[in-house]
Amino acid sequence: MIVLGSTSEVAQAFVEKALQEGEKFEKIYLFTSNKETTERFARHIDVKFLQQAEVIELDLTKEIDYNRFENINSNVLFCAVGYLGEGTDEGLYDNRNTERIIAINYSKLVPVMNYFAHKFESRRSGTIIGLSSVAGDRGRQSNFIYGSAKAAFTAYLSGLRNYLFDKKVHVLTIKPGFMATKMTEGLPLNPKLTATPKQAAACIYKAFKKERNVAYVLPVWSIIMMIIRNIPEFIFKKLKL
Amino acid sequence: MKPNFTQKVTNWGNFPVVEKEMRSEDNFKKIKEFVLNHNEVIARGNGRCYGDASLGESIFSTKKLNKFINFDRLNGIMECESGVLLSEVLEIAVPQGYFLYVTPGTKFVSIGGAIASDVHGKNHHAEGCFSEYVIEFKLMTENGEIITCSREENADKFWATIGGMGLTGIILTAKFKLKNIESAYIRQESIKAENLDEIFKLFDESESWTYTVAWIDCLQKGKNIGRSILMRGEHAFQHELPQNFSKTPLRLKKKLSPTVPFYFPGFVLNALTVKIFNWLYYKKQSKKEVKNFIDYETFFYPLDAINDWNKIYGKSGFIQYQMVIPKETGKEGMRRILETIANSGNGSFLAVLKLFGKNNTAAYNSFPVEGYTLALDFKVNSKLKSLVDQLDAIVQEFGGRIYLTKDSMSRSSLTNYLKNIQNPKFVSLQHKRIINNNS
Repeated sequence: MIVLGSTSEVAQAFVEKALQEGEKFEKIYLFTSNKETTERFARHIDVKFLQQAEVIELDLTKEIDYNRFENINSNVLFCAVGYLGEGTDEGLYDNRNTERIIAINYSKLVPVMNYFAHKFESRRSGTIIGLSSVAGDRGRQSNFIYGSAKAAFTAYLSGLRNYLFDKKVHVLTIKPGFMATKMTEGLPLNPKLTATPKQAAACIYKAFKKERNVAYVLPVWSIIMMIIRNIPEFIFKKLKL
Repeated sequence: MKPNFTQKVTNWGNFPVVEKEMRSEDNFKKIKEFVLNHNEVIARGNGRCYGDASLGESIFSTKKLNKFINFDRLNGIMECESGVLLSEVLEIAVPQGYFLYVTPGTKFVSIGGAIASDVHGKNHHAEGCFSEYVIEFKLMTENGEIITCSREENADKFWATIGGMGLTGIILTAKFKLKNIESAYIRQESIKAENLDEIFKLFDESESWTYTVAWIDCLQKGKNIGRSILMRGEHAFQHELPQNFSKTPLRLKKKLSPTVPFYFPGFVLNALTVKIFNWLYYKKQSKKEVKNFIDYETFFYPLDAINDWNKIYGKSGFIQYQMVIPKETGKEGMRRILETIANSGNGSFLAVLKLFGKNNTAAYNSFPVEGYTLALDFKVNSKLKSLVDQLDAIVQEFGGRIYLTKDSMSRSSLTNYLKNIQNPKFVSLQHKRIINNNS
């Protein structure tokens, strides 16, 4: 399994869930911008599951040397890369913040995804799982830079799914909704709408096994987002969402 | 949305409830920042202590320190971060033929919590407290420095931290020994006792057993006082197991655990329902003595089978009252305690009696001393404080003490045995309460 964004608690929970369910991987490739934390996770799964893992540094804001990835092959790619950045109050007119959000969530991420998608395509098998966001379903005043990057990422995954369909590669888009993770720690989230990384991992694993195309982590989010998507624009623009 | 780390926090007894800042972090540098940037910090593991021990002005949750570091499968030495739960250790250890030397009545406590409380189990008389098997741990001190503590290195901090209720710093990682087992099952004998004299006699006769514990019906009066069931057990060897268990002796079948869906309304738990429950529990075993094999989860963690069982006590919560009375006067003390409870009519759903063996004098902050210990659940209501007062008076008279991990309202004089801890950085609400009541 290839994991992009390995410090993500959801990615780690998914790796554990898959190993618990008895999935076998020759090696797990843990891509990360935080080597120390990820190495702890690699040791953890070695102790817990006797699973070999390799930590590979990847900083999406820097130049990427793809030669380093030449020998990396797997049947599953799990992408949990995400960067929330600053919302509107301080971040909107800060270009560095804006560029960073767009780079990490979309523009610098997609070439890396493509690099591995190409490998999957030539092998004609495998699953690519991408964590997008409900924020990409409709731009809202609270975080629309992040939301727009995620909207682009959702569209990318949808197109990729279409492109790889007859090449026997499956693409799964996950829209998590609120999750109790580092990204959202301290935010006042409604507990009924918030999934723990473990819950999310279980749901993603199910969607992976069932070869679903798009899945919300908590079912209630598909209803919430259906409503939000369908509010007429002339009303929506007046709402404080 | 701006992060606001203030939230409602409460421990397993749902009493008291506070609104304080709580944060969790897995990066040691950020933990250091948290320690340096806050005046009063207290570490909290899985929140399975009962009272106000892991509550404070700024709470550091070790939930994200949940990684394993190493498992020496040859020698049974485990190393992990402090937020790892005992249940997670068992998940790995049991299938490989290892078990925790000492475990409390729930497997959902963290390793850090087990050290800070120096937890004990049904085998205290034979194998002592959790700390006996701790080789070393890493502690973050008030200036954010990380030090290794063992019997040789920083020994003063090592012993102060054991049973030290988090007041010496934040435990980050720990290394400890596991015991060999041949199966995941326990050979158990349960014996009914009519009264206190009989149960004490049974304890004495069971001294050679590794695990002993008794469940007491604490609403009985007169000659029936102390009516109870003693359970004693040993890790079963593979060859003695019945056939249906012996094929895969180290693997248990998955069980579904029911969840208590909501806080029960206040009237559900009262003297009458507790009486009925106790009667059923006692009568369930029709024979005087039953011998059988049961899996380790049922033997050690019967309550863990019901998720969120604390909700049956309703929103006002409950306390656990656990005391120890030295052996010489223990029987008399227990009789007085049980009489007081029976007369109050404030029955305990769960009353557990145990005999502690000799204590490790080096672990001076640890709770157990040789004698009888009784753990009781009481629903929080208007009459509780006066009952606790009466019980405290008896414990004091008999020279006993209270288990800090479960304390939230006892007299400070019964709980002020925390020594060598004068650290203005690591402070819990419990510690403040104890200090303030003393002055």
